[in-house]
Amino acid sequence: MLEIRHYSKAYGDGKKVVDDISLEVMSGDIYGFIGHNGAGKSTTIRAVVGVLDFDEGEIFIDGHSVKEEPMECKKITAYIPDNPDLYENLTGFQYLNFVADVFSIDAAERDARIRKYADLFEITDALGSVISSYSHGMKQKVAIISALIHEPKLLVLDEPFVGLDPKATFTLKEIMHEMCRQGTAIFFSTHVLDVAEKLCNKVAIIRHGKIIASGLMEELTEGHSLEETFLEADHE
Amino acid sequence: MNKSILLLKTLLLSTSQRNIYKYSNDKKKKKRILGSLIGAALLYTMLMAYSVFMCIGYGMAGLIDAAPQMCALIISALAFAFTLFKTNGYLFNFREYDMLMSLPFEARTVAACKFLYMYIKSMPWYISISVAMMIGYGVFARQGVWAYVLWLILSLFLPVIPMLAASFLGFLIARISAGFRQTKIVQTVLTFIFILFCFSLRFIIEYIVRNDAVESVLQKTSEFTGKAATAYPPVAWFTNAVTKTGLTGALCLTGISVLLFAVLFRIVGHSYRNINSALRSNAAARSIRLGKGKKRSVVQAIAYKEFKRMTGSTVYMTNVAIGEIMAVIFGILTLVVGFDRIVALVTQNAPVDTAILQPAIPFIVYFFIGMMATTACSPSLEGKNYWILQSLPVEKKTIYQGKMLFNLYLTVPFMVFGILCLCLSAKVPVLDSVLYLILGIAACAFSTTWGCVCGVKHMRLDWENEVEVIKQGSAVVLYMLPNMFVVMGLTVLVVFLGMYMDHKLLALLFILPVSLLAVLSYRRVLSLAKKE
Repeated sequence: MLEIRHYSKAYGDGKKVVDDISLEVMSGDIYGFIGHNGAGKSTTIRAVVGVLDFDEGEIFIDGHSVKEEPMECKKITAYIPDNPDLYENLTGFQYLNFVADVFSIDAAERDARIRKYADLFEITDALGSVISSYSHGMKQKVAIISALIHEPKLLVLDEPFVGLDPKATFTLKEIMHEMCRQGTAIFFSTHVLDVAEKLCNKVAIIRHGKIIASGLMEELTEGHSLEETFLEADHE
Repeated sequence: MNKSILLLKTLLLSTSQRNIYKYSNDKKKKKRILGSLIGAALLYTMLMAYSVFMCIGYGMAGLIDAAPQMCALIISALAFAFTLFKTNGYLFNFREYDMLMSLPFEARTVAACKFLYMYIKSMPWYISISVAMMIGYGVFARQGVWAYVLWLILSLFLPVIPMLAASFLGFLIARISAGFRQTKIVQTVLTFIFILFCFSLRFIIEYIVRNDAVESVLQKTSEFTGKAATAYPPVAWFTNAVTKTGLTGALCLTGISVLLFAVLFRIVGHSYRNINSALRSNAAARSIRLGKGKKRSVVQAIAYKEFKRMTGSTVYMTNVAIGEIMAVIFGILTLVVGFDRIVALVTQNAPVDTAILQPAIPFIVYFFIGMMATTACSPSLEGKNYWILQSLPVEKKTIYQGKMLFNLYLTVPFMVFGILCLCLSAKVPVLDSVLYLILGIAACAFSTTWGCVCGVKHMRLDWENEVEVIKQGSAVVLYMLPNMFVVMGLTVLVVFLGMYMDHKLLALLFILPVSLLAVLSYRRVLSLAKKE
C-alpha cells in the first residue's frame, strides 16, 4: 500500500535530514516508525502525505506516485499530525462536515460515521462548540475522527497518542486493529515503545535520518523487548 | 459542491465572527465581537463620508469627470498595498498548511482559495469607498442607470489586478527567499525593498506631475489621475465603462482580471508546495553551533524574546519596523538634500520660513517612528504560547515592562538618529536640539505605553493567522488612529506657537504633557496588569 524508495530530504544548506530510506507497508500492516526527536520521522511522514516537497527518491501509495499523482494518493490517505492545527473558529461538527464534503461522503453515511466515532471518543456533546474552546486531547480526537470519516486505505499518524486520555488511547488502538483487519495499512510514528510493541506487526527504527533496523516485530526483537532492541540498535 | 467553493466557504466560515458569536459560550468573546462590529461600523462610516465629500469637492470644482478615475486609483492602490503586506501569512506559510495540503486539494486550488479569501475579506472596504464615491459622482454627473450598474459590477473587479500583482510580488519574494538558508531574513529584506519602492514611486509620480506646473491642487490631482489612467489601463477601462457606458472597457477589465487570475495561480500552483516546504522547514536545516548562554534580567529576557519574535516573522517585522527604516532614510535624505529643500518640496515652494518648522522636528520624526508600536500587538501575538509566560513565576507587570522595553529599544535609537539628522540639516542650535531629543524620547515613551494600554486592553489570543492581530487587530487600530490625529494636531500647534514663542520654551512646554501622557499610560498598564 505504501512504498518508500530511497527517499532523502535535504534542506537549504544541503544537510540531509532523511538519508536514503526505503520501506514498504502492506495492506493490513500496522507499521511503527520509531526514533529519537529530530531523527526524521515527521519529515518522512509529511512527505508521504504530500505536505512536504522532496527531490530524491519515490513514494508510492497504492501504486500512485506522491510526486506525480498527489490527488490520487490523497484520496485514499488520511493523516493525523502530531499537533493538529484545525480551524479554531469552526465547531467540531462544522469541521468534520468540511472534511466529509472534501471526500464527497453522502449525508447519511457521514452522520452515521461522525456519530459512531464521536460516541466512541466521548466527544459528541462538544461537537457543537467552537474548536478554540477544546483541550488538546479534544482537538486530537476531532482530527482522528476527520481521518476516519472517509475510510482511508492508508492511515498515517504522527505521534497519535500524545494528549489522548487512557480511554481514548484504548479506543484508538481498537480502531486501528479493526481497520487493519479490514485491510487498511497503518503507518505511524511514536515514542511510546510499549504501544508500538503491542500494536505493530512491523517496525522501523530511524536514527539521524537513516533506517538502522526494520522488519517484522518478532524477527527484529528476537524475544527481547522493543525497548531493548531500540537501545541496542541506537548504541551500534 | 465544487471543492474550490467548499474550501473558500470553509475558510470564510473559519474566521467568521458570526460563527464564533453563534457557537461560543464565552460571554467576553461575544462582547468583544459586538465591540469590534461597532468599531468597524464607525470606520466604514468615516471612510464613506470622506469618500462622498471628496467627490462633492470634485463636483463643486467642476472636475467631477475625474471622480471615477480617482475611485479606481484609490481602490487599486489600497488593494495593492494591503495585499503586499498580507501575502506572507495568508498565501504562504499559514498555520493550517499541513492539514489542508494533506487533503485532496490541488496546490493551486489551495493557493487560489487563499487569494479569493483575501479578496472577499477586503472587499467591504473597497465597495464602501466605491459606493460612496458613486453617490458623490451621481449628485453632479447626470448619468443613466447603466453607468451606476456598471460602476458597481466593475468595482468588484477593480481590486483583482493590483491584488494579483501584489501576490505575484509576494510569490517572487517567497520563491527567491526559499532558495536561501536564512529564508526569513531574505524574505523580510526583499519585502522592505518592495515597500520602500512603492512609497518612493508615489513621490516620483508626484514629481513628474509637478514639473507640468499645474496650479490648483484639485486640478493637479485630476491631472495625476489622468496620467495614472494612461499608465495603468484598468483605471482607464473603468472610467471608460462608467462615463461612456463603454462595454469594451468593462470587458477588458473583467476579462483580463479573470485571465490573469487563472494564469497566476497556474504558475503559483507549480511551486506552491516547494516554497511552503522551504519556508516551513528551515529550522531543521541549519547545523547550529551552540553559543554561550547570557544571563539577563527578567525584563531584559522578555525584551530579548520580543526581539526574536519580531525577527522571526516577516509580517511582524515589515509592519513594525517600516517606520524606523523610513525615519533613517528620511534623516539621511534630509542631510544630503538639505532641510530647506525638503520643506520646499513638501510645501511646493510655498514662501515658508523653514525656521518656524524647527520645533516640529520631533513630531516629524515621530510621524514615522510612532506609526506602529510593537506593544500594541505583542500581547496578542503571544497567542497560544501565552501559557509559557503565564506559567512562569513572572508578574504580569514584568511581562508588560519587558514588552515596553523592547519597543523603546526599537524606537529610541531611530528617533535620536532622525532628530539629529534633521537638526544638523536645519542648523538647529545645540540646546534646542537637546530639548528636541528629550521631546522625541518622551514621545517614544508615550507611543510605547499607549500601545501597551491598547495591546493589553484588547488582547486577542485566539487568532488563526498573525496578520489578524498585527494588521487588523482592534488594539492596533485603537493605537494608530488617535495617535495619528494627535501627532498631526500637535505638529500644527507647535508650528503655530513657534511663530510667537521661543523654541526652547516651546519644546519644554511640549515635553511636559507628552511625558505626563506617557506616565499616565504607564500607570494604566500597571493597573491593567493588576486587574487581569
